[in-house]
Amino acid sequence: MIDRTIQPTITEAAKPVILVPEAIQLDNELPVHILNAGTQEVTRLDFIFDAGLWHESKPLQSAFANAMMQEGSERYSGAQIAEIMDFRGAYIQFVIDHHFGTISLISLNKHLPHLLPVVEDLIKHSSFEEHEFETMMNRRKQRFLLENKKVKVLCQKKISEALFGNQHPYSQKVSKEDFQAIRRDDLYNFYTKFYRSGNCRILATGNTDPQLANMLNQHFGSDDWQGERMVRPEFTIQASDKKVHQVKKKDAIQSAIRIGRLMVKKDHPDFHSLQVLTTILGGYFSSRLMANIREEKGYTYGIGSSIMSLNEAGYLVIATETDQAYVKDTIAEVFIELKRLREEPVSAKELKRVRQYLLGEFIRDFDGPFAQAQSFRSVADFGLDHRFHEQYYQTLMSITPEKLQALARQYFVESEFHTVIAGA
Amino acid sequence: MIKFQRYQLENGLQLLIYPDYSTPMVALDVCYHIGAKNENPNRTGFAHLFEHLMFGGTKNIPDYDEALQHAGGENNAYTTNDLTNYYLTIPKENLETGFWLESDRMLELDFSEEKLNIQKNVVIEEFKQRNLNQPYGDVWPLLRELAYKVHPYQWQTIGKEISHIADASLEEVKDFFFRFYAPDNAALILSGHVDPDACLQLAEKWFGSIPNRKVSKAPLPQEPTQTEFREKTVERDVPDTALYLAFHMPDRRQYEYYVCDLISDVLSNGNSSRLYQRLIKEQKLFVELDAYVSGDHDPGLFIVSGKLADGVSIDTAKSAIWKELKIMQTELVSTVELEKIKNKLEANLVYSQMSYLNIAQELANFENIDRAERINEQVDLYRSVNSADLMRQAQQLFQEPNCSQLNYLAKK
Repeated sequence: MIDRTIQPTITEAAKPVILVPEAIQLDNELPVHILNAGTQEVTRLDFIFDAGLWHESKPLQSAFANAMMQEGSERYSGAQIAEIMDFRGAYIQFVIDHHFGTISLISLNKHLPHLLPVVEDLIKHSSFEEHEFETMMNRRKQRFLLENKKVKVLCQKKISEALFGNQHPYSQKVSKEDFQAIRRDDLYNFYTKFYRSGNCRILATGNTDPQLANMLNQHFGSDDWQGERMVRPEFTIQASDKKVHQVKKKDAIQSAIRIGRLMVKKDHPDFHSLQVLTTILGGYFSSRLMANIREEKGYTYGIGSSIMSLNEAGYLVIATETDQAYVKDTIAEVFIELKRLREEPVSAKELKRVRQYLLGEFIRDFDGPFAQAQSFRSVADFGLDHRFHEQYYQTLMSITPEKLQALARQYFVESEFHTVIAGA
Repeated sequence: MIKFQRYQLENGLQLLIYPDYSTPMVALDVCYHIGAKNENPNRTGFAHLFEHLMFGGTKNIPDYDEALQHAGGENNAYTTNDLTNYYLTIPKENLETGFWLESDRMLELDFSEEKLNIQKNVVIEEFKQRNLNQPYGDVWPLLRELAYKVHPYQWQTIGKEISHIADASLEEVKDFFFRFYAPDNAALILSGHVDPDACLQLAEKWFGSIPNRKVSKAPLPQEPTQTEFREKTVERDVPDTALYLAFHMPDRRQYEYYVCDLISDVLSNGNSSRLYQRLIKEQKLFVELDAYVSGDHDPGLFIVSGKLADGVSIDTAKSAIWKELKIMQTELVSTVELEKIKNKLEANLVYSQMSYLNIAQELANFENIDRAERINEQVDLYRSVNSADLMRQAQQLFQEPNCSQLNYLAKK
């Protein structure tokens, strides 16, 4: 008979292989990283432009300029672009964040020669036609109105405003009126300034074709789409003096809660250790917050904490949704958990557990070509490199309960947290 | 071709092994052939409630998550109307911990009133979060009730109503476990960096001694053919009026299922599809519009759902959709259009093989239908569909008496 009470022997899992992509330049000096990995004949291409929200002179400008690029170019109408992509079983995605506007193509290798001319045309010669703009704007507006019916969206907006002040690009401040105010020319001007080779880098991932670099050079390496490298303007963070905020949403059955504070950026020496601390607090299923507020009290379906890392700032946020009746107690319990981390050292057992969990996550972060690519971007977008991952691994292996408690005392200071409740 | 191996343990447990050495991880997936459709109509939501209780620990292993996290593992689960699937991924070095944990959950959970009460509360909050507090959150329950009068697909996995969860007793919960959670009602799937011989030995070691529980499931009531058009109208505080058309379609084992799936692709797979180009982009009648099959294993639904552009009436929207459905019934889909759909399927198949976990879940799904080997028959089935099949199937499918229509009006 086997003894089912004893766990099979645990071996420390091997540290993952962190691939360092090959760095090349096209003839026009556009930087390209090629990350060769995987077994399937698939390539992902990311065209990354420094063209995010940070550079907007009007709300919605960066997001719409990015999205409009799929709606037609000099040689292809929007319908033709869609037709060619679908015919080749490829996916093209247009994604915007605070700092970057990205165009991503995922395709079987064999179809790339048919797709790159299309991608070239839509990036270099997008047409921004007025009627396409209006259709897109109306659809986006309706989606925006839908999102703004959700308490968690209202809550997230409010906390970003509380932490950064409503003039800062990290504060989510889009309103319904902005959809009326934005014009086709606002987008086109943004596009002609920011979607240029001097403001672009390319990341290629997958079991790539040996000819890929040549193909990229042929389509994107010429001087016909030069432009300046854009400088990031500066903004000052103006956090609200008020620490508790309410957003009313009538008839809401549950309330959303966000509790947050500003945090260090990725290049700060405490960053990796704070990741471990935040995971203990609310970053995995057995975290303090989940164990107490979901598993012991049953107040919520889920509660979590995470550090949001942006290029110019970072913040910690604790997020949950719960019935009105549990709001007060849930918030109180969150602060009790922060206090416990300040006052009691984490046990060796708990630390071991979170370490093993994070080590497993670390391996997953590098498992497969697309995961490797994402991990690469998580440093490259911040001007960092693979040493960041090495340092994280070292921190994970060596961090102590004393260090965690010292960090909790330094960063988990109750008076520095903002609390937002959105609900009825 | 997904080359996997199949074994069966003496207690009836099916074992499927798919090696993929491009990853240092292994996915261990236990699929129980118990879904919301097997529930008592007065105790709905049990299969899903179990998904929560399964993490409450066993007599031998009080804390499932702690043990798994020590091994660098991660896990989750989902419940559908047809099955409940538990999966974990773990570094290959520590695979045995996965066997240990999953076999002990199959052996016996550590039930208690206290744990049950907490998880009941969590599920009730989940019910509120997903169904009640989300715009459009009650569309599925409304549509299911309209389309199904007899078949248990009329309720969703989270349950028909909160009281079914709130009133569940410990005895009922235990009974449900021993009736359905058994080696003879499950499949164990391993995919990723595995040695098949070692897996077989570990399966014998950990799962081999769990008794066969002689699971027998009551035959499900079959939905009679719908003979009359059904329509329901509700008004809600949402930004856009939405329209849903649901048509009964063949079950997952039929060739016609694949034909229906391709019809939905012609209509709405990708930005070049008919509904997107014509009704959203050209005529601007909708801001969102999709056609898809529900994917249920018993006869399911073919659904067309859309959110109307501002100022468009339900009647205008409805006739525009029907016009497209009529075209499917009267005009052959061109060779180029059909090739596009099939190219896309082929590419998606290659993309999906990039994930060992995804393969494990697909195998689980096909095994639940009847046999995992179906995973390798999909491409040929789709490839064999021609334009005449699409037209013939559209003629059968898109009949008004086979349609349930939900008008979901935005309160002004």
